[in-house]
Amino acid sequence: MEIMENIITGVKDGNGASVRSLTEEALKMNIPAVDILNKGYVAGMNIIGELFKNNEIFIPEVLISAKAMKAGMEIIRPLLAESNIRPVGKVIIGTVRGDLHDIGKNIVAMLLEGAGFEIIDLGADIAKEKFLEALEKEEANIIGMSALLTTTMTYMKEVIQTIESANFRKKVAVMIGGAPVTQAFADEIKADGYAPDAASAVDLAKSLLGRD
Amino acid sequence: MNPKERIKTSLEHRIPDRIPVDFAGTTVTGIHVTCVSTLRKHYGLEMRPVKVYEPYQMLGEIEEDLAECIGIDTIALPAPKTIFGFRNENWTEFRTPWGQDVLVSEHFKTVQDINGDLFIYPEGDTDAPPSGQMPSNGFFFDTIIRQEPIDDDNLNPEDNLEEFEPLTKEDLEYYKNEAERLKDSDKAVVGGIGGTAFGDIALVPAPFLKHPKGIREITEWYISTLKRQDYLHEVFQKQCEVALANLEKFHDIVGDILDVLFVCGTDFGTQRSSFCSTDMFDSLYKPYYMKINNWIHKNTTWKTFKHSCGAVENFMSHFIDAGFDIINPLQCSAVGMNPQHLKEKYGDRLVFWGGGIETQNTLSFGTPKQVREEVLKRCEIFSANGGFIFSSVHNVQPQTPKENLVAMIDAVREFNGRKFI
Repeated sequence: MEIMENIITGVKDGNGASVRSLTEEALKMNIPAVDILNKGYVAGMNIIGELFKNNEIFIPEVLISAKAMKAGMEIIRPLLAESNIRPVGKVIIGTVRGDLHDIGKNIVAMLLEGAGFEIIDLGADIAKEKFLEALEKEEANIIGMSALLTTTMTYMKEVIQTIESANFRKKVAVMIGGAPVTQAFADEIKADGYAPDAASAVDLAKSLLGRD
Repeated sequence: MNPKERIKTSLEHRIPDRIPVDFAGTTVTGIHVTCVSTLRKHYGLEMRPVKVYEPYQMLGEIEEDLAECIGIDTIALPAPKTIFGFRNENWTEFRTPWGQDVLVSEHFKTVQDINGDLFIYPEGDTDAPPSGQMPSNGFFFDTIIRQEPIDDDNLNPEDNLEEFEPLTKEDLEYYKNEAERLKDSDKAVVGGIGGTAFGDIALVPAPFLKHPKGIREITEWYISTLKRQDYLHEVFQKQCEVALANLEKFHDIVGDILDVLFVCGTDFGTQRSSFCSTDMFDSLYKPYYMKINNWIHKNTTWKTFKHSCGAVENFMSHFIDAGFDIINPLQCSAVGMNPQHLKEKYGDRLVFWGGGIETQNTLSFGTPKQVREEVLKRCEIFSANGGFIFSSVHNVQPQTPKENLVAMIDAVREFNGRKFI
């Protein structure tokens, strides 16, 4: 469908105004919101994710595409909720306590949203109690933690222990990332997965849900 | 060879009597104030509050007695003001949130909220909104984003130029005093004047300004590198003009007392990739770096220092073309940053300043044995044919085990003893 191709192009080019007007046009054509999401935004962000993974585009391009997608999402989000459309999965995400760095975490959240996940973004400097609180409130499949500092990454272990003590560990997968974080560290603290970059984080999230 | 000769020999890609060492010569080769104190204690030096010369990353001053224990060959000529826009003067005692007594500038004004987070004010002015925040269990500040709504139709490049001003009479006086202090130093003098880094994302939010205007939010800045290139060119063009005029005045005062000028800390690399393509580097940044570096090479004896974290192997030839003499910090844990490959491909054209030990992993979390092995290996690779100044990959982080710090220092000494004596 031509309009879907145009939405995909709008997302790829980071043209928020175009995505917004095309979305409105598509809705007038009675195209379901879920199709606009999956065949338009997700398809566009999928291309962006691949190009980013292959170093053909960089963070600024991802940011403008995510911003364009968000412009459209504002229109269709209430419609998705009304029609009870379930997201691919729900991810609680945050940068851990003591760490205010959130760019990496935000890019992961954008790409996950672009892959059809619902994101509960707790922000930065998030204490273990807050992660637990969000987990109790939301039926999330995944918790994503980020840290940029060698002094804060160790806090991820405390979060996992807190989740475990509250008997949530088997209900939720834990994925981690951030500059100093490694697979060895993820293994050590018993996280379910580690992603070295934002595009791989999407693949990881899908595989944790058994959707890859 | 004295320390200055040692560094200068290495900067000329010749082999000095031993590998030169820098710590605290710049704000990207520093040691966190906690670790400075740890080292003072280890070496049995007088225990007194350490000065925090760089309040953003809480870097501690390395006084002459400790510098001698570590074997440091550099000395800093700091910019007149810190990243929070105040001068380091009239040192006063301060107890950090982690309970360490340190010395800070009298303008280091903070307030603690009920969560224990510490907020710091630009220019020490508590009437302005705070520009930095240290979480209650943190060890450094991060900038607070103060972005006013962006109106694309009415963006004015002047708003992003507020911080790029001609050096003031006070600044020039400061440099005269610094020149006097450093003129007979037998160490290599490393300095910076600020305003020569284009688009450094740490400086975009302007933690030194009371009420920053223009584009100050990090995401918006990165978006601007694609969507508002004309605006950025205008900012960089005017910033460059101011910087060149300032360099001239600075040079008139410090002349050959300075050996190395810290030009730029703009990071182009991430752990596995980069923030932009090399084509964008060439079109958006390189023209201005070339103007700065060309002026320096034409008019001074200084070598130019470029810092960029991350995976920047493919940027190296572009840094060379832009006229940089020195690259730091050589984050070899990032993708494509193989030490041997870097040395073979670029080592004859770029001086490697750093790269001696990884701070993200080995130094912070390894064993002393692993630290020793990594330092010895890096020294072996990077010191061939000169062109290497030992330092860690970026600042030494808080909570680094003492044994690892000592293992690092001892390993450099061991290598030098083995190789050069």
